[in-house]
Amino acid sequence: MMKNKYSFIALIIFLFVGPFLFPNATIAEMLIFGIVAISTNIMLGYTGMLSFGQALFFGTSAYISGLMLLGGFPLFLAIPVATFGSFIISLFIGYFCVKREGLYFICLTFAFNQMFYFIAYVWHDVTGGEDGLVGVERPAYIDTQLTFYIFTAIMFLFAVIALYKIVTSPLGLIFKLIRENASRAEAIGYNVRFYKLISFSIASTFTGLAGSLYVLIHSMVPIDQIHWLKSGDIIFMTLFGGVGSFLGPLIGVVGYIWLSDTFSIIWARWPLIMGVIFAIVVLYFRGGVSELLENLFKKYKSISKKTEHEQNIKNRKLN
Amino acid sequence: MTFLIISQILNGLGLGMLYALVGVGLTLILGVLNIPNFAHGVLYALGAYLAFTIANLTGSFYFAMFLSPLLVVLVGFLLESQGVRRLYHAHHDYQLLFLFACALIIQEIIIIIWGPIGFSLLPPPSLSGAVDLGFLIYPKYRLVLICFALFMIVCLYLFLTKTNLGAILRAGIENRDMVKVLGINVNVVFLYTFGLGAYLAGLAGALSAPIMGLTPSMGLDILPICFVVVVVAGLGSIPGAIIAGILIGLSQGAATIWFPEATNVVIYVMMGLTIIFRPQGLFGVR
Amino acid sequence: MNKILKIENLTKNFGSISAVSNVNLEVEEGTIHSVIGPNGAGKSTFFNMISGVIPPSNGSVHYKDKDITGFESYKLPHMGIAKCFQITNVFPKLTVRENVWASIFSCSHKSKIDLFKSMNDFKTIDKDTENIISDVGLSHKIDDKAEELSHGQQRMLEMAITLGAKPDLLLLDEPTQGLAPEATVEMTELIRKLSKNYTILLIEHKMHIVMEISKIITVLNFGEKIEEGTPKQIKNSKKVQDAYLGRK
Repeated sequence: MMKNKYSFIALIIFLFVGPFLFPNATIAEMLIFGIVAISTNIMLGYTGMLSFGQALFFGTSAYISGLMLLGGFPLFLAIPVATFGSFIISLFIGYFCVKREGLYFICLTFAFNQMFYFIAYVWHDVTGGEDGLVGVERPAYIDTQLTFYIFTAIMFLFAVIALYKIVTSPLGLIFKLIRENASRAEAIGYNVRFYKLISFSIASTFTGLAGSLYVLIHSMVPIDQIHWLKSGDIIFMTLFGGVGSFLGPLIGVVGYIWLSDTFSIIWARWPLIMGVIFAIVVLYFRGGVSELLENLFKKYKSISKKTEHEQNIKNRKLN
Repeated sequence: MTFLIISQILNGLGLGMLYALVGVGLTLILGVLNIPNFAHGVLYALGAYLAFTIANLTGSFYFAMFLSPLLVVLVGFLLESQGVRRLYHAHHDYQLLFLFACALIIQEIIIIIWGPIGFSLLPPPSLSGAVDLGFLIYPKYRLVLICFALFMIVCLYLFLTKTNLGAILRAGIENRDMVKVLGINVNVVFLYTFGLGAYLAGLAGALSAPIMGLTPSMGLDILPICFVVVVVAGLGSIPGAIIAGILIGLSQGAATIWFPEATNVVIYVMMGLTIIFRPQGLFGVR
Repeated sequence: MNKILKIENLTKNFGSISAVSNVNLEVEEGTIHSVIGPNGAGKSTFFNMISGVIPPSNGSVHYKDKDITGFESYKLPHMGIAKCFQITNVFPKLTVRENVWASIFSCSHKSKIDLFKSMNDFKTIDKDTENIISDVGLSHKIDDKAEELSHGQQRMLEMAITLGAKPDLLLLDEPTQGLAPEATVEMTELIRKLSKNYTILLIEHKMHIVMEISKIITVLNFGEKIEEGTPKQIKNSKKVQDAYLGRK
């Protein structure tokens, strides 16, 4: 509980300081992918399901909301419709995927992702195909840097609070039961497949919400937002931050976006550096950044406790 | 029209053979090692690019076809022994991420070495031109490709059924723990399996170069197809992967005739139909 | 007398081998009914068929006059049947409290809306959790992770999880398997205590425990029922002695 309190205070500070540290588009991207990573963690870290198809929901929802804005619908209709769209798609795809476990689940979600990519690619008239969906305009009321940031921050906070409610509800506990011991969860009366589908849907719906916001940043949807490489990035951001805690993935997002922004300016072949970082993290820092910090914190605490203890002994001797 | 259909079906068959080769490679790695090999696609690309360079340097197309898959095997050995081996006990998340990272690294190295623009590799004079089949005139190289891929598949089949190592690999797919119980050095088996998978990917890449040309994204494009082959086949089925690969190739060939713009989507239609009507895959048991 | 569980002609074939063939059995409400047999007698298969893990090849299982043959295992706790596993089967990274809480919640929440409420909104479940945990003697470990418990304590936790479903019928699969002698005594006492409130179907390997606590005993050998009766009758049965001594 205490740990969560500190993380939330850190989060609020970040929301106030962030806009001064990073360019406008970058901080908006961080918050939007923050929603993606935290919700993906519900499925990955809490329920123990690895989906390699989350870009599907992100991209599809971005297209839906982009197309609605182009069609003249208001933003406050476009976001819910796009989010609901990803919810429906996630139920449909999830129904087939959650029947399978482990590698087969990864294969299926991956293949579905690429199915949607090719639909977007071929359906040039609607999605813009390879050129992406362009010319989406932000509504006037969020067109300044400040209002747009406030808007994304509010949406981000809304999503984080909703997801936190889920994690601390009985549903969150059921997800952990499935991760820990699916057959025992079944034996005490939980329909594991049903709850896996719920977990998959929650992750995908919130990823969809993030996708529907993404279109506002650059006023377009590039087709690589639905490519399977994006799914890989999403998994990396989540794991990089650490799946052991609720807000851990956010650290991964900030780190990933900051690094890729920095390297992409320096060198066109920056994905090479990212690849090397991925590999090093996997081989040597498997718990992610948040666990690294936690361990350092623990070490610090045990050292300070030790010195306190020594101090006590000294004091006693003096007395 | 009939000529068009037959030639497209032959094209599809050739494509299907390539899919079968990479698909079997992936199936072996998934089945025996139980890891999602996301670097499979770039190994395929590497096979093609190495073949291109070797053919240009030595002037021998055949030598390039021989050497390049072997070099890919070396890369495969390197990946397995330096990285994957440390991750067998980790979650799939980390295995996947590591191989994904390797895919990114190799992908970028290919672009650094060979540049972002594609190439084409011409078949040697002895294999270029066309053959008159009586009812149809068909490119010689494509015909040879079909025969050679078939030959390789037969060799692979003989290897898996007639040799000791083959029997161990098949046992490993059935029941991974059994290999350990049998007192076999698991590390060596895993290394060879990864090598064999890499060989098949590299070979398919090299063979594909004269037909489809070389582009830096070829590895990223083939990877989802490999996974679809596995899903359609049923996880861990080698005959399934061969048949699924060929079926997918053929359906792509057929799509070229009637819906040329949907050639890439048809792959996923096949996958969709499979998981609706036969969720365990064509040959899957699990 | 009320028969709570009726099993008719239950059969399981694996290929041409039949692991269990044509077993009939009726469990009387409020008793301990044990199923025993030498190793490989088909006890586990029998248990798994009743608890919905594997579907039977033939035959039926009726619980309170309802046909539950081949029901998925997650449905059984909601009907009042709970099972306890042969091997320790808990949720290792969760606390003792969470382990038991989840089990109680499973069968006591009425609507799906409860899933989204706060964990603090379920005062009765919290209380029940503490009661059950103190019943099995783990109150002092309530906020420890399950993986940090000793083997014997994990078995007790396993039992607590099973009881969380508030069942009418308890299916126990070799609950004393792998326990030290003192812990075995403790577990036997617990089962005896439980029998006051629950009907128990006990699958067990250790003869002396079964003899001590059961009302009716069914003996399986090579997948078939060879004898049934009170402990006294079983003790004097020639067939049972032969089966245990390996004589045909």
